[in-house]
Amino acid sequence: MKKIKIIAVLGIILAAPIFIAADHVDAPGVAGSSADIADFYAFEPTEGSDNTVFIVDVQSNVLPDLTYGEFDEDVLIEINIDLDGDLVEDQVIQAIPRDGIMYFFGPFSPSSTGLNSQIDTNTALGSVEISSNTAITSTTSNGVSLFAGPRQDAFYFDFVRFNQVIAPTAEDKSGFNVPGTDTFDGANTLSIALEVPNSLLGTPTAQNVIGVPVYKTWVTTNRKQ
Amino acid sequence: MKIYNKKYLFAALFASFLVVGCSNDDDSMNPTPPTMEADFTGTFSQVDHMGRPGINTVLNGSADNKNMHNKTIPSNMQATFQASFQARLEALHDAYAVLLGADPADINYEPNILGDILNGAEPTSEANPNIVSAEVLTTVLSNDVLEVAPNAPTVYFDGGAGAPSFEGAIGFTGRKLQDDVIDVSLILLFGGETGARFNGEGGLPQLVTDGVAITADNITTSFPYIGAPE
Repeated sequence: MKKIKIIAVLGIILAAPIFIAADHVDAPGVAGSSADIADFYAFEPTEGSDNTVFIVDVQSNVLPDLTYGEFDEDVLIEINIDLDGDLVEDQVIQAIPRDGIMYFFGPFSPSSTGLNSQIDTNTALGSVEISSNTAITSTTSNGVSLFAGPRQDAFYFDFVRFNQVIAPTAEDKSGFNVPGTDTFDGANTLSIALEVPNSLLGTPTAQNVIGVPVYKTWVTTNRKQ
Repeated sequence: MKIYNKKYLFAALFASFLVVGCSNDDDSMNPTPPTMEADFTGTFSQVDHMGRPGINTVLNGSADNKNMHNKTIPSNMQATFQASFQARLEALHDAYAVLLGADPADINYEPNILGDILNGAEPTSEANPNIVSAEVLTTVLSNDVLEVAPNAPTVYFDGGAGAPSFEGAIGFTGRKLQDDVIDVSLILLFGGETGARFNGEGGLPQLVTDGVAITADNITTSFPYIGAPE
């Protein structure tokens, strides 16, 4: 019984030579597509700030042959924010490109939650020209900063070694190298960034494990049907 | 000083269900064409999901589970994935046990430094066990959302001074670009009660750091905070 489990695990590992965190190429159904989420960050920009920054990376050129280069007009990026800790979105922010411009909607409380979304054009937040190498940003009348365009992939990870670490052999079972080699150094991704006043998002009643009030957030990509 | 208390762990696991309303339909002023010129109609169906970094990649083993995870709403994730995450965590330990010539039954997940920290000043013992079992850890991780505190400094996780005091430990308030989420994840999955269980010494593999740090030009101090493409 035990042996069967081990063999199964090794089989899975050997069958998956491309195996990347954080979310880059995370599942065969979406890997390498224009809707593949690479990363998600959410942070306070400076200590004491009343804003929260959200950064979503989609696509990456960290490996050859991955789709990379342009936002897809059929792919809606949605940032979900749960305020009360029930893991259901109370606020959403949407982003979708049209003709070289990234349009943003929200934050708004969606009329229905779940796996299917419509764009709420009544809650237009603002838009920004999609940048090339030099960052173009815009600020909405309610104080939200917007950005969309290619950026460096800030994620860092020795993923080449990781693939060897999860497939150890009798000759090579030493784990990671210190120092390692950052596979993502030199890679680019397509980013959207928003800096949002917390007052637009609402006050969370959810808490983290140490009792600090938190937004519970996640990002999805959604393809037009 | 240890600021953590185990009760908060359970408070988080059984969070309340208060409803908070908020409406923000402010008009926007933009330098770009009005949105009405473009077509935004249609239904969009979810194809990818991300909360915390690396969850689907590391803890879902099969292609079917990875695909299913991306199309599962967070409120259904614990029921759907916790048990398989726990099995996967144990199986990853077993895989190394085989290579190290050990009995897989002897090398298991060991409750991690979070348990030490949450236990407070009392040392972990039989009477005061480390509460972050494989089940507790995978329960938390199976709810794949990223927590971000609107009114606290952002730290993904920092064990402070480390074992045994963990002085200054802080975390769970979001994810900055520079946070070393891979090392944190490795420490919580493989580091055991000291955070350094598989540290490359004594014939054991190095499994608690990948040995890389962020490249300085990846980030900037002003919006959008990420460096120009290379």
